[in-house]
Amino acid sequence: MEKSSRKIWEHPWGYAEGFIVASGVLLAGLMLQLTIGNIDPAAFGFPVNIIIGALFMVGLLSLHFFLRRKKIVRWLSGVSSTIPAISLLLAVIVIMGFTPQFSDHVSQEQLPPTPLRGLGWYQMTTSWPFVQLCFYLLTILGLTTLRRTTKKRGWRDIGFYLNHVGLFLALLGGMLGSGDMKRYTMSVKEGSVEWRGTDQLGQMHELPIAIQLDTFMIEEYPPKLVIIDNQTGRILPADRPEAYMFEGVGKTTTLAGNRVEILDFMADAAIVRDSNIVNFVHMPMEGATNAIKVRVTHPSLDHPVEGWVSNGSYLYPYEVLYIDSTTSVAMPVQEVKKYTSKVTVYTKSGHVRKAEIEVNRPLSIENKVVYQYSYDETRGKYSQVSIFEIVTDPWLAVVYAGIFMLLAGALFMFIAGPRQEATPEG
Amino acid sequence: MSWDSFIYFSVAAVILWTAGALIALKGEKKTVPSLLTALGLAVFFAFILGLWFSLERPPLRTMGETRLWYSLFLPLAGLLTYRRWGYRWILSFTTVLSAVFIIVNITKPDIHNKVLMPALQSPWFAPHVIIYMFSYAILGAVTLIAIYYLVRESKISNKGRLMAMTDNLVYVGTALITMGMLMGAIWAKAAWGHYWSWDPKETWAAATWLGYLLYIHYRLRRKASNKTSMYILIVAFLMLQICWVGVNYLPSAQGRSVHTYTME
Ligand code: HEM
Repeated sequence: MEKSSRKIWEHPWGYAEGFIVASGVLLAGLMLQLTIGNIDPAAFGFPVNIIIGALFMVGLLSLHFFLRRKKIVRWLSGVSSTIPAISLLLAVIVIMGFTPQFSDHVSQEQLPPTPLRGLGWYQMTTSWPFVQLCFYLLTILGLTTLRRTTKKRGWRDIGFYLNHVGLFLALLGGMLGSGDMKRYTMSVKEGSVEWRGTDQLGQMHELPIAIQLDTFMIEEYPPKLVIIDNQTGRILPADRPEAYMFEGVGKTTTLAGNRVEILDFMADAAIVRDSNIVNFVHMPMEGATNAIKVRVTHPSLDHPVEGWVSNGSYLYPYEVLYIDSTTSVAMPVQEVKKYTSKVTVYTKSGHVRKAEIEVNRPLSIENKVVYQYSYDETRGKYSQVSIFEIVTDPWLAVVYAGIFMLLAGALFMFIAGPRQEATPEG
Repeated sequence: MSWDSFIYFSVAAVILWTAGALIALKGEKKTVPSLLTALGLAVFFAFILGLWFSLERPPLRTMGETRLWYSLFLPLAGLLTYRRWGYRWILSFTTVLSAVFIIVNITKPDIHNKVLMPALQSPWFAPHVIIYMFSYAILGAVTLIAIYYLVRESKISNKGRLMAMTDNLVYVGTALITMGMLMGAIWAKAAWGHYWSWDPKETWAAATWLGYLLYIHYRLRRKASNKTSMYILIVAFLMLQICWVGVNYLPSAQGRSVHTYTME
């Protein structure tokens, strides 16, 4: 690394001092963590976050405008402090990557009773060491950016500002905004209106928005056939499970060494039990299920096995077709392709809006965003309930401004590449 | 086109890439090796396109499918570097690494089907994954260069030039992972309501990103040690591997990550 006759703490500071200072920030965080416990993000909601943000910005600007020539401020806006700060944050994130993380709504008593609990490692993002390191890094980032304004200008500055201001906004906005972010789930029955939502602690609230579910639709992928082990229920072959997706009557496929012929298909089957016989009949009604009739041949069988297979519904149990004493043909639960809620949304201020909401296609209305979250999974495609998530995140604009600046900065980096003078000879 | 024909296309592509790499090792002219490599890329890409059509969705969902893109982008990154910097050995590196991933895909393909769950049906899906795979390929090539440097340091004559190339590749790779990550964040917002939830995959993506930022900032110093720089690259790539494949095995991620789409 750096070779010089300079003693430690003698200016100009280098990486060694950087690691000591960053470790100090980390240790101070740990002390706080051990004495007062985790940070409660809700306590840092409006207006506390605004005040902290304003104080932080005023602090940074004063350091820059009044104390910029001080050696320590100079050091705090350079690579010598940056490298250790990024390294320690990285170390903390690696620890986080190896430790199971719990939502900040989980209380201390519910966490695993290991020493990691006291250190805050199970809820790293709301622990003091993590948050303090982030603010330390933000300080360096902010001062670096401000210092750059005093230097000679060049076209490379565009990339520099996009990247550093972008990260500054995204990080600061994300951290300060987390206290103001509100998420409610709302479960609405087809044909009715709902205005109450459940927060992440399970508490019901009346929301300034009401949703009427006009219709709810689920589209499924075609059913699949598999061969299972009768004993374990595992899909065969065990080391490389095979599945066949239904493509039409008359097709033939091979599954785990069995020749499987598709003889018939019903999208609306009712399963009627008649003493010992199971009958499959057409019955276009709620709760009807998919059924496929197959013929299975296998060298070990004297004659082919024939019969219906179904994955059932909330009304009917599933049906497998026994091939022999060890294997059967089965139809796993179908995968969902798409689910759509047609809704009418009413807001307190008098807005009425009709919309279609899907996963990846949320609805923005006033300062809220409504997401398709789930449905009644026990009833599958016959669900009459749609579950929405309603999110308010007043700081989102700040974070997005940062994200788009970073994206532009990345594009700049991609095109411009590294500084050329940073490539010495030999 | 189905996965069964993969072996024919991939063997043809590897033969073309190997021929290109060998000729590059020998000769001065860049034309023939470039053409052979490009031809191999075309053959390989034809398979991906065929699979895309038959699956009726972009082949980006399973690990096997993402490995496919990785095997494509490695020789592409090698070719671009070869054209720009003229290192004769780079094509051999990328061909070998790409072949390793092809062999993995031949011996251990995933279950392939048409299913694409609703969360993945987004215009961000394809750019997010393709950009990530491209950056992984470039950063994989960079890691090979770092190992090459550390093993043969005393024998490398023009270290400055090698470091300059490494810097260039890392800037391109980091720019791409930055874009991949941010597109992921925008997509996550639309799909799940939040742009960043510190899910295990996201945590390791953040770690990887910081690893490469560390390299970039460390290199800004004129006195930066080449060796330390190369070690940073190797550590960063280890984190990238954890992010890409390791997350499926980590105890901290069992049954938790919303990003594991492989079937049980
Ligand atoms: C994590 C917080 C960060 C800190 C504390 C930081 C700090 C610094 C510092 C001190 C410099 C040298 C400034 C100068 O010479 O005027 C610098 C330059 C640079 N940083 Fe960062 N940075 C951070 C994040 C980023 C990010 C997110 C990117 C890109 C994705 C980035 C890319 C660069 C580049 C490319 C340069 C060289 C710019 C040039 O002069 O052309 N940095 N950074």
